[in-house]
Amino acid sequence: MHSTETDTTADGADWAIEASEVFKAYRDGERRVEVLRGVEMKVRAGELVAVVGPSGSGKSTLLHVLGALDLPDRGQVRLAGQELSRLDRKEQARFRNRHLGFVFQFHRLLPDFDALENVMLPGRIAGRDPSRVAERARSLLVEAGLEDRLDHFPNQLSGGERQRVAICRALSLEPSVLLADEPTGNLDPTSAERIFELLLDLQARHGTTTVLVTHNRELASRCGRIFTLENGLLT
Amino acid sequence: MTQISVSKQRPTEEPARRAREPARRAREPARSVRATGRRTPGWVMSLPVPLLLAARYLKSSRRDAYVSFLSLLAGGGIALGVAALVLVLSGLAGLQAFLRSDVLARTPHVEVELPAGEDAAAVRDALLEALAAETRAPKVEAARVLIRGRGWMLVGGSSVDVEVIGYTGTLPALFSQTEQEVGESLDSGIFVSEHLAHRWALELGSRVDLVSPRPTLTPMGPQPRLIAQRVAGTFQRGQTEQYEERVAVPLDVAKRLFGARLQRIELHSTGLEEALDLAAVVKGHLPEGSRIATWQDLNRGLFFALKLEKRLMFVSVFLIVPVAAMALITVLALLVSSKRHEIDMLHAMGARPKDLRRAFSTLGMTLAGSGLVVGGTLGVVGAFLLDHFKLISPPGDVYFLDHVPFVVQASDLLAIAGATLIFTMASTAYAARRAAAAGPLEALSSV
Repeated sequence: MHSTETDTTADGADWAIEASEVFKAYRDGERRVEVLRGVEMKVRAGELVAVVGPSGSGKSTLLHVLGALDLPDRGQVRLAGQELSRLDRKEQARFRNRHLGFVFQFHRLLPDFDALENVMLPGRIAGRDPSRVAERARSLLVEAGLEDRLDHFPNQLSGGERQRVAICRALSLEPSVLLADEPTGNLDPTSAERIFELLLDLQARHGTTTVLVTHNRELASRCGRIFTLENGLLT
Repeated sequence: MTQISVSKQRPTEEPARRAREPARRAREPARSVRATGRRTPGWVMSLPVPLLLAARYLKSSRRDAYVSFLSLLAGGGIALGVAALVLVLSGLAGLQAFLRSDVLARTPHVEVELPAGEDAAAVRDALLEALAAETRAPKVEAARVLIRGRGWMLVGGSSVDVEVIGYTGTLPALFSQTEQEVGESLDSGIFVSEHLAHRWALELGSRVDLVSPRPTLTPMGPQPRLIAQRVAGTFQRGQTEQYEERVAVPLDVAKRLFGARLQRIELHSTGLEEALDLAAVVKGHLPEGSRIATWQDLNRGLFFALKLEKRLMFVSVFLIVPVAAMALITVLALLVSSKRHEIDMLHAMGARPKDLRRAFSTLGMTLAGSGLVVGGTLGVVGAFLLDHFKLISPPGDVYFLDHVPFVVQASDLLAIAGATLIFTMASTAYAARRAAAAGPLEALSSV
């Protein structure tokens, strides 16, 4: 993996996320759709920010680009001091594994693995010692209040519990950045509140830089900063 | 449970609760973990990622009735193909081993054809002397002079084209017989096949005339040489039709028919491999114009046909395996398709394409390997039972065998296993590549 020097904020802290002049367009038949038109974004390490915007405004695309899942057409994205465009496919996979955690609207837990095993997966992919990975996964699940659900399979868990397992999985390798795309979007208000609280709680305790994409203005208002994505620009 | 206690919190209590939570949770883990039925993850989680995924996907495929059915079809098809191959090849190996041993028993190890005019006995003696002096030369167990030529046999106005073998001493290997086959015989005369004797109603002492194609010049012009002989005995015909055209006569009778031509020396060594070495040494001690042929040369056509037959049977029966492999591709493609989101999530979590490719290859090879093991076992056990209990018995009056022997050869098993594994590996590669090629975007796009 190529390492590059990191910029620092005015108060001397590292920028965990730096996106500058990011452009991204898609082809829709003959039509070219400009989704991101020079996005600028800087997030401090340990900060929790929300990205809001109408449907189709490019929030998910921005998350793809920030999460090394897609490359921008133009511009630079630097995460944890690493310029993402310089990574090849294998390095991108490694980077995602070591530095990023993802939480999606649909939990995307693996149905053939129980809660503990799902949380262990990133660690096993990283090639870490199974017993240590299990210990870490267990402690995260206990933190999330799922001590009685360790050996339950996703189909034996409620929607909220599944999402809690998904959050634990995302944090299992203590990533520098957590990218959450509508993590409460598929839940009823009570469960959504619980999940958001858990996210806030874990984020605060683990100091993970978090980007939360949401439609919910109320939830966004509880984050440190709010970015609004409109017409391909972040304000 | 934490879940319940969280739900009961009122908004006004939130800051205080959040302040208390870490301390409470820090105290809880040990008790909570003990409260669950399981404290350790499954052993599968200790496996490398490709094996771990393959093991779980294999387990989950059993829960899906359709995938399960297709898996059974694929594995069963491979097992069937492999079992059929083992049975066919072991049956052929058994038949060929029998035929080979029969043919080789009637074939000299080394045959030397001498040029016309040579004194065969003198050449043989000189050769044995020279071989005795050669330290590298394999041992010669027997050396005899023969004459082999073609002629006609006349019986009561009928004629048949025969190969006449002139011999001294006991009947040559060409007429090798078992004790039961020898039966009653006269001291001197002609030996004909039992089949020919039966067809022409020849009995011991019956008169037959041998005619040589080499004419004798007489005042009335060239006349065919004709020698009368009494039937001295019969021999069991060999396993191929050509042997019924052979007759054996004393060497001096053959000499009168063919002159000092068509003389051969037949050598027998201690074994087939030694015979090949012997031929190489003998070559240097023969008169000019001599031709030498080993047991391999004499049966080249037959051995080639046997080998070709086995290869063709292998290819035709092996076709079952590709058909089963197609079912295997379907199973894996179906699995990749049904696990699309999971695969994409694994990509997002940083699983390397190589790991996913290996996971699906392992899965495919596990199914194929199971089919191979089951099929191989069925084939070997089946071959043993068929051979041991002589379950396939062709009619004795039509075929020369009372039962079809089955011989399982390690080389056949290796060839079957190798070909099956290579073919199924190629088949699984398609699904495995599809799994590895997918990017993680799809998992996010469905948000």
